[in-house]
Order: sequence, then C-alpha cells, then structure tokens
Amino acid sequence: MLLLELRAFGAAAVREWRQLRRYPTFGLGLLFWPIVLPAMYVLQARGYSGGDQRAIDAFAERSGTNEIAGFLFIGWSMYMWLSIVLWGPGTLLRTEQVRGSLEALFLTPASRIGILFGPAVAHLVPALWMYVVVGIALRFGFGLVVEPAAVLRAAVVILLAVPALYGMGALFATLVLRVGEVVGPIQVVRGVFTVLCGITFPIVILPDLARSAALALPPTYIIADLRAVLLTGADLVDLVPDLAILLGAGVVLCALAAVAFRRAEAYARRGGRLAQY
Amino acid sequence: MDARALTKVFERGRRTWIQRLRREPDHRERFVAVDGIELRVEQGEIFGMLGPNGAGKTTTMRILATLLLPTSGAARVLGIDVREQPREVRRRFGAVLSGERSLYWKLTARENLEYFAALYHLPPRRTRERIESVLDAVKLTDRADDYVERYSMGMRQRLVLARALLPDPPLLLLDEPTVGLDPQAARDMRERVLELRSEGKTVLLTTHYMEEADQLCDRVAIIDHGRIVALDTPTALKRTIQAEEVVRLEIAAEADGVVSRLSENAQVARQERADGLLHLTMHTVSARDFVPRAFDAARAAGATIKHVEVVPVTLEDVFLALTGRALRE
Amino acid sequence: MAGRTGAWALEARAIVAITRKDLRILTRYPLEVFNQIGQPIYQFVIPSLLLGATFAVGGRAVGLEETAGTGDVAGFLILGMLVAYLVGAAFWGIGYSFKREMDQATLEPAWLTPVARETLVLGRGLSALVLSAIGIVLMLAIAVALFGVRLSPAIVLAVPAFLLAALAVLGVAFLISSAVLLIKEPVFWVDASDALFAAASGVMFPITVLPGFLKLVSFALPTTYAIDLLRVTGLGARPLLDPVLQYAALAMLAAILLPLGRAVFAWADRRLREQGTVGQH
Ligand SMILES: Nc1ncnc2c1ncn2[C@@H]1O[C@H](COP(=O)(O)OP(=O)(O)OP(=O)(O)O)[C@@H](O)[C@H]1O
Ligand SMILES: [Mg+2]
Repeated sequence: MLLLELRAFGAAAVREWRQLRRYPTFGLGLLFWPIVLPAMYVLQARGYSGGDQRAIDAFAERSGTNEIAGFLFIGWSMYMWLSIVLWGPGTLLRTEQVRGSLEALFLTPASRIGILFGPAVAHLVPALWMYVVVGIALRFGFGLVVEPAAVLRAAVVILLAVPALYGMGALFATLVLRVGEVVGPIQVVRGVFTVLCGITFPIVILPDLARSAALALPPTYIIADLRAVLLTGADLVDLVPDLAILLGAGVVLCALAAVAFRRAEAYARRGGRLAQY
Repeated sequence: MDARALTKVFERGRRTWIQRLRREPDHRERFVAVDGIELRVEQGEIFGMLGPNGAGKTTTMRILATLLLPTSGAARVLGIDVREQPREVRRRFGAVLSGERSLYWKLTARENLEYFAALYHLPPRRTRERIESVLDAVKLTDRADDYVERYSMGMRQRLVLARALLPDPPLLLLDEPTVGLDPQAARDMRERVLELRSEGKTVLLTTHYMEEADQLCDRVAIIDHGRIVALDTPTALKRTIQAEEVVRLEIAAEADGVVSRLSENAQVARQERADGLLHLTMHTVSARDFVPRAFDAARAAGATIKHVEVVPVTLEDVFLALTGRALRE
Repeated sequence: MAGRTGAWALEARAIVAITRKDLRILTRYPLEVFNQIGQPIYQFVIPSLLLGATFAVGGRAVGLEETAGTGDVAGFLILGMLVAYLVGAAFWGIGYSFKREMDQATLEPAWLTPVARETLVLGRGLSALVLSAIGIVLMLAIAVALFGVRLSPAIVLAVPAFLLAALAVLGVAFLISSAVLLIKEPVFWVDASDALFAAASGVMFPITVLPGFLKLVSFALPTTYAIDLLRVTGLGARPLLDPVLQYAALAMLAAILLPLGRAVFAWADRRLREQGTVGQH
C-alpha cells in the first residue's frame, strides 16, 4: 500500500518535471534571473554607497557584513526560490482544474497528499539549480570566496527550510483552487514577502510593527540564517533556535496544507467546482 | 467574388539565420495546402466548400478573408483585390472563422458587440440599433446582458454569427458554422443561413457534413488535396454518378468471383474488407432490380450476403466516385 | 465612403472602444488591477527605499548625494518609476497583451475588421496609460505624504521630455508587439527586456555606476534622458549631460524609434499573413 502511494507520488513528480522541461524559456529564465535581478540591486547599492566610507560603514553596522553583493544575492535567491515554490504547485493545480484533469486525479485512489506534494519534488531541481547559478555568479562575478564548510552549513539550512517552504507552497496551491486565479495571488504574496522578509535589507531597519510581522514569516529566518552561515561565518550551533522555529513551522504548515486541501476538495465536491473555471 | 488559380504553399520547419547567412540550400518542407483553386461565387447564393479534413477549405477561406497571403493567384471580393486592398475588402464581409472561443468571456454579449462595432467602424449613431438587430437575428436579445462565460456553446456560436453580421455585410464567410453544435442548434444555424440568403446576402461556407452542403447550398465545390474536384449544384453533382440509388452490401465470402459477377449488374464504387466481411458500395439505377440479382450472383459464386442497405445518392457518393475515398477517413 | 477626417474619427473611436473593453475586463479581476497598479510599489519601490535606508548616515543619503547629486532617495526612485511605468505599459500593456488575445482567440476577429492594425496597438496603449496614470498619481501622493518628497516646480520643464520619451517608447511598443506576434513563447523575453530596459535607463540607480559598455546602452535609450531631466529639474540632481543636448538626443531617438517601430510592425503583419498564424497559438 505504501509502495503504491510512493509510486503515485513519484509519478506526480516525474510528470511535473516533464512538463517543466517542455516549457522552452524556463531554463533561460533560471539562468537569467538569478544573476540579473540581484545584480541590479548590487548596482543600486553602489549608487547608494557612492564610495563614501561613512555610507559603507552604516551598511556594515546594520547588516553585520561588508559583503554587499553576497548579502543581496542571498536575499534575492530566497525570493526566487519562493517564486518557484508558489508558481509550480499553484499553477499546476490551477491548470489541472481548468483542463478538467483535476477531476481525473481525484478519481484515482491515490492519496491527496501525493497529489499535493508530489509535484513539489520536481520543483526542488530548479531551486537547487538556481542556488548553483547564484553561487557561481558570486564566486566569479563578485569574487566572494566561501569555505566549503560554510557551503555545507548553508545546504543544511536549505534542507531544513524545505518543509516550511513547501508547506507554504501547498497551502498557496489550495488557496488558488478556491480563488480560481494564480498570477494575482502570487504577486500579492510575493510582494508581502519582499516588503517584510529582508530580501534587500536587514530587518533591523524596519519599524517595530513590520519587524514583528517579518518574524512571523519563515523566509525571514531562512534569509537571515543563510546570510549568517555564508557571510559572517556563524556556526549551526548558533542558529539552533532559528532552525528549530523553521522546522516547527514546516510541520505546522504542511499539516495545515493537507487539511486545507481536504477541505477544498470537500467544498469542490459539494459545489461541483472541481472542473470549473 | 472570384478566385483565380489560388495557391498557398506552407513551409514547415524553420530556416535559421546562420543557414541564411551561409546561403545553405533551403531544406524546409513545402506543403501545398491550396493548389490552384478557381471559383466564382455569384451574388445572393449560398456557396459551399465540401471536403475532408486538411483539404484546404479553411486555408482558402482565410485567403479570401485577407488573413493569409496567397503564394500565387488572385482573389477579388466584390471586385476588390484581397492582396492589394485588404482593408477595403474587410469592410465588405463578416466572417465566422475561429469558432465560439473567439469572444471575450468576461464581457457580456452586448459589451462584446459594442467593442467590435467600433472596430468595424460602425457610425456611433447606428451602433445601438445594429446591435439590437443582430441580437434579435440570432435570438439572443433576452440574454444580451449575461456574461459570455455563462453561455452554452450554441449560444456562443450564435453570438459569433451576430458579430459577423454587425457591419451588415453583403458577403459572409462561414467556416464550419455548425461544427460541435447539437442537432437542434445546428438546424437553427442552418435556418439563420437560409434567412441570410433571403435578405440578399452572399454566403460562402465550408463544411464536412454532406447533408449540410446538400440542404443549404445553391452550389457546392468539392475540394480534395487543395484542388476543386467538382463544382456544381448538389443535384447536378449527384446526377454525375449515373445512379439513382446506392446499395451497400456485406458479404461473407472468400471467392473473388463475386465482385466481378456483381459488377455485371451495377457499378462497384468501393470495396473493402473488414471484420472478415467484404463491404461493397454499389451504384445502381434501381435497387429493386439489382438486389434480387445480387443475391443470385452471390449464391452462384458461393458467397452469402449478410446485410443489405439501400440509400439514396448523397454528395458523399459523389466524393467517393471522384476520389475513391470516403469523406470522413 | 467616409472622408479623411471621418476616417480619423472612426479610428479614434476604435481606440476608445479597445480601452473601454480592456478596462471593463479588468474590473472583473480586482486583484489584477491592484497588482498592475501596486506591484511596482511593493515589489520595487519599497525594497529599494529600504536598501537606501541601510546606507543612510544620520538620516542622510550621503552616498547618493555623491553619485547623483541629490540626497532624496524617495524622490530619486519615484521619478525613475514614472518612466518605468511608461516602459511597463509598452512591454506588458501593449506588447504582451497581444499574446493574451491570441491565447483567447480574440485577436483574429479583431484582425478581420477594417480597423487599422496600428489602432489596435494604440488602443492597448491608452488603456495601459490609464492604469499607469493611476499608479503614478498614487505613488506621487505616497511620496509627498509619507516621505516628504518635495519636487521643484521647475519639473514642468521636463514635461516635454516625458512626452518625447512616451513617443519613443511607443516606437519600442510597436517593436515588442511585432516580436510578440511572431515569437511563440514571449513571456520570458518580454519580462527580461522590460527589466533590462528599465534598469539601463537608470530607474533604480544613477547610470554612472554602470560598467562602461552598459553605459553606452543607457545613452542609446530615450528613457535615460527623460529620467535624468525629471531628476535634474525636480530634485536639482546633477545632470548626466547638458540638458539641451539631452533634449536633442531625445527628439532624435523619438524621430528614429517611432517610424522604425511602425515599419517593423507593418513587416510583422505581412509575415503573419504569409504564415497564417494570427489565430493559431
Ligand atoms: N499556418 C499553417 N502552416 C502550415 N501548414 C498549415 C497552416 N495552416 C494550415 N496548414 C495545413 O494546410 C492543410 C489544409 O488545412 P485547412 O485548415 O485549410 O484544411 P481544412 O480543409 O479546413 O480542414 P478541416 O476540415 O480539418 O478544417 C492542412 O494539412 C494543414 O496542416
Ligand atoms: Mg477547416
């Protein structure tokens, strides 16, 4: 039984990956945006610092690092990972809904969890790839040298962040099913994260209220921890409280997503909206 | 409206810039979709193009509608050349080409029509009155303020026709106006088309339903592989096959002799083996005379006739006689 | 047949009808309206402002004073955004919207009407401008009320520059529309070129921080001059070049880009008629 479930899960992942690959400019985007988007903000930071030592010191004091490029690339890579996580399952469920194939999926005995989270596995590949591109750009474009041990620590942080992020993705996908629109909600959600989670800035500069809100969002921790291990040489031990929060949030979010998905299904069955626009 | 030696060649695959720069030979596959079509549609008639999938009907239609440039040949709509003066031509026809999807689903029928009225350059003073009149013509007046997304397929198809009627054009181009409609809706649509003729409009339509071509059209062009293989009134076309009735036989037999024996009494239009049976389509002047003789002939050849069907001659048989293939294959 | 002036009036009416239709459809997607207007603000202006705040020394943007000649980060960004809205309207509001219409199969029926093809572009442009104008007003209001941005009245001197840039960008919109009509998967290209165009125009930073060859690209873009003239007149920023020269460059670019865009669009229309792909996507 479990084996069959795993196979359904795997099939969902493989199918998703095949669809991703067939989208021709997808790969181009994954090469272009991880470099260009942060690079624009690095240029903006140059405009703001202007070679004035006082300004550069002000940045170092607030952010805890001199590595402006590293700081911004890490922030934006979180943004892009988030985009991948929101886009993927969200658009997937929505297109299935529009095409009517969601009904077909629900007709199979496979567990809803597999349907919901299976595709997310396929989206780990582009996420990893994006981190590789960012790493290469930082190393060769901006001369940021990071010890292998720090990279390993970053990998651990990313791994521990997976449940939280994919829980958010799945929760979002369920929301999309109810709202019946993908692009709009994604932009709003992404906007909230951009404004709060410290993608281009250290959250210490936020007003108190906004900072409290930021601390309630998992990406804030992911960004801060990645910056800590990669730029300021922090050890994982220093980050244990943060990482515990992340893992806890992951468990809660995944459970929430599963419940919400089940309710969405029940709602759709009652209202006959599974196959509708 | 007339077309002379209309030809359209599509190129498949692509030629890269590098290949162009190096002046490498062009390896693109060429595909002749329309191959020298000649036709002339008279004012006030319903003219049909009948043909199987991929025959080039839509392509011809799109050339006449100025959406496609012909590779060679010329076409004139009400005396105006489609290649030279496409905008003048577009002022003079309404078209139903891309089916019921081509509406704004998030707007109401009236809002859709208001938009297209402006694009059709209807004078503002006449717009409202025209919209009411076309809505009335397709019997959508009571649903005019509903969003199109809530329409049934047949209603959307009717709205597409209403849009084509907006500029009150002397000519209508209808590409498969009844495809996908249920029998009732299709009948309604055909009635609309007949009404259009009675209003003095010229209608050019394509279809691959031969009954539709038969009932609706004053003249029919049968098209295959981009060529017109026959063009006449439906009655005249049916007369070309020298038969009054068609007899379809299913015969259980190994013997080859049965076909030649049968052909002494009627013309064999088609033979085919399927499910271990020999399926024959025979053209005959009188089924009453032929059927008894067919049984005799079969017995003499040691075969058994399993099933007999007698039907009147249709355009399908004309197509069969001309190309050796059935219309829907 | 309608006379010459009559024909113009009919095309103008078509433009209004297209705009009305676009806005009507938008009202059925309230979230999208919110995003089209608000996205530049929350996705771009706020993160940029906060990055600026990270570099502030005692509340002063000493670094920007050095690179741009003005310490007003909010004013600097918002005047850049003014032009970025214009660019976005050209790339998304006009160019990409053709792709949407193709997907909905509504482009072909429009293509079958006697309306001029260019009218379809202009109609789109008008509806995009209406939305942009709302965004611009909103942003200016926020800038003045929340960030205390004070623009000098001298900014009216840059209004002609803005209009010239709008004409040049319309030329670019014709180019993008042509590309969208001919390319199969235009999303990435539209997105990427929109971002690069805006960045190279100096929307988010003074173009003096760009590496040499990219600076050359900046000087080829009409929007660079429009943004600079707005900042020079409105905030007293240091000009990139003599403003007279900038006006000359702008006029020249508009005179090149608009006819070029129209010519390419006419060519693209012809290609479409050869390939017969208006309705197929
Ligand atoms: N834009 C195009 N590029 C390449 N080939 C095309 C194009 N449009 C049509 N064709 C080809 O031309 C041929 C004729 O197509 P057309 O659509 O005219 O057929 P049709 O008679 O309308 O068929 P149907 O009954 O299926 O509508 C087909 O083989 C089609 O694949
Ligand atoms: Mg066809």
